[in-house]
Amino acid sequence: MKSIRKFGAQSAFAVVCAFGASQAFAVGVPAGTTIDNTASVSYSVGTVTSTVTSNTASVTVAEILDVVVTVQTPTVPVAPGAAQQVLRYRVTNTGNGPEPFHLVMNDVIAGDQFDPVAASPSIYLDTDNSGTLTAGDAAYVAGTNDPLLNADAFVTVFVVNDIPTAVADGNIGRSSLSAAARTGTGTPGTVFAGQGASGTDAVVGTTGATAIGTGEYLVQGISIVATKSQTVVDQFGGAKPVPGARINYTIAVSATGTGSATGVVFVDNIPANTTYLPGTLTLNSVSLTDGADADVGAFETTPAARVRVALGTLTQASGNQTVQFAVRINN
Amino acid sequence: MFEGNWKFIAAAIIACNFGSQAFAQTQGCISLKSVPQVEQEVVDANGKKTVQLVTATKVVPGVEVTWTVTADNVCKQPSDKVTINNPVPAHMTFVANSATNNPAADIAYSLDGQTYGTADQLTVQDNGTTRKARADEYKFIRWTFKAPLAPGAQAVAHFRALLN
Repeated sequence: MKSIRKFGAQSAFAVVCAFGASQAFAVGVPAGTTIDNTASVSYSVGTVTSTVTSNTASVTVAEILDVVVTVQTPTVPVAPGAAQQVLRYRVTNTGNGPEPFHLVMNDVIAGDQFDPVAASPSIYLDTDNSGTLTAGDAAYVAGTNDPLLNADAFVTVFVVNDIPTAVADGNIGRSSLSAAARTGTGTPGTVFAGQGASGTDAVVGTTGATAIGTGEYLVQGISIVATKSQTVVDQFGGAKPVPGARINYTIAVSATGTGSATGVVFVDNIPANTTYLPGTLTLNSVSLTDGADADVGAFETTPAARVRVALGTLTQASGNQTVQFAVRINN
Repeated sequence: MFEGNWKFIAAAIIACNFGSQAFAQTQGCISLKSVPQVEQEVVDANGKKTVQLVTATKVVPGVEVTWTVTADNVCKQPSDKVTINNPVPAHMTFVANSATNNPAADIAYSLDGQTYGTADQLTVQDNGTTRKARADEYKFIRWTFKAPLAPGAQAVAHFRALLN
């Protein structure tokens, strides 16, 4: 699973990276299932043929204890001093029987630049299944509402922290969630006799019946805002958006907050049913060539028709960066 | 409270067939028994590790179970054409080549319990084409013993299946 760190803001119109979350599957036949086997034999004595069946030999399927924790929000941008920041995790029962899981969060983790402060409460279950922390979500209380998961089922869990004020742009604070099978954990193969579903044995699987995921908060004091407006000029001197009319777009990009955003790139797709008018791309009233060359702007055709302008490093003091370009409505 | 009924209950328990693992079924001349086993590593007094087969009761998915079927001739006459048939148990997958280390019998497999063939002969229809059936598709295994079973002798068949 990739954890992506960006020291600086992304353009509001750029496509954001994809997070790889591993797909976890439960193993095997449900715990407690009885598997029967009956053999038969036929034979002849003289001219008489007979058939005999054996006893029914049975084995019972034992329960495997296994769990996987995945971080669904590996990096969450935060401002210094922000309260109630949330990391989202998924806890999946990858064993073959229903099992309650004990959850623990930890925010004192080596390798980061600050310790997020545990909010109170610090763990919530996504009771209303909305994917975000809402008033309908229950606070987790160990031993009271340990999530009981069937084989292959998962629960979404939120870890909530406050960010200290004495942090700098680009600082990272880690906060982890661990899950452990209540029946027991340990070396794979450890047996908890009779403690599995339907009274069968419970056996620790390859995960050790415990797992941990670690997400991080990234202090980002600066944010980028882009505001877009348009004017229409038709070929008859009016402002009707008819085929053949021209649309002039103006986008103002600015940074607010503390610190600086580096590598800011503005990208905007040419709207469907319109065609870019060559030579119309400008930045702060300076004309930019359409081709990819030494200047900061270009008109691109892959992966789609779009304009791109590199705005470099922006701070709040940089002020508005104005990008303009024009298209014609297709006939 | 149970004084008067005690003998009745005790007699009933003895008559029941508990723990069918341990008891063979006998009708006529063959006594047929089926036993599941799993491999277990055993360390002896010198620290040497060996793998032994022990009776299986509770098995986790992913483990191979060895099923052993024994046929004992309990009559005074030989039994001819002794043929043992074992369906691959539900939720289990037959392990390829695990039935064939038995020179006393010809082995055949079936997908439907009707048509039997060797591993080379058994075919299956797949999207309109005919191909050789895979070992994990076998549903029945049959051992046809080549020689008659003498009185007091035992024929053995065994195979391994993986718990899904």
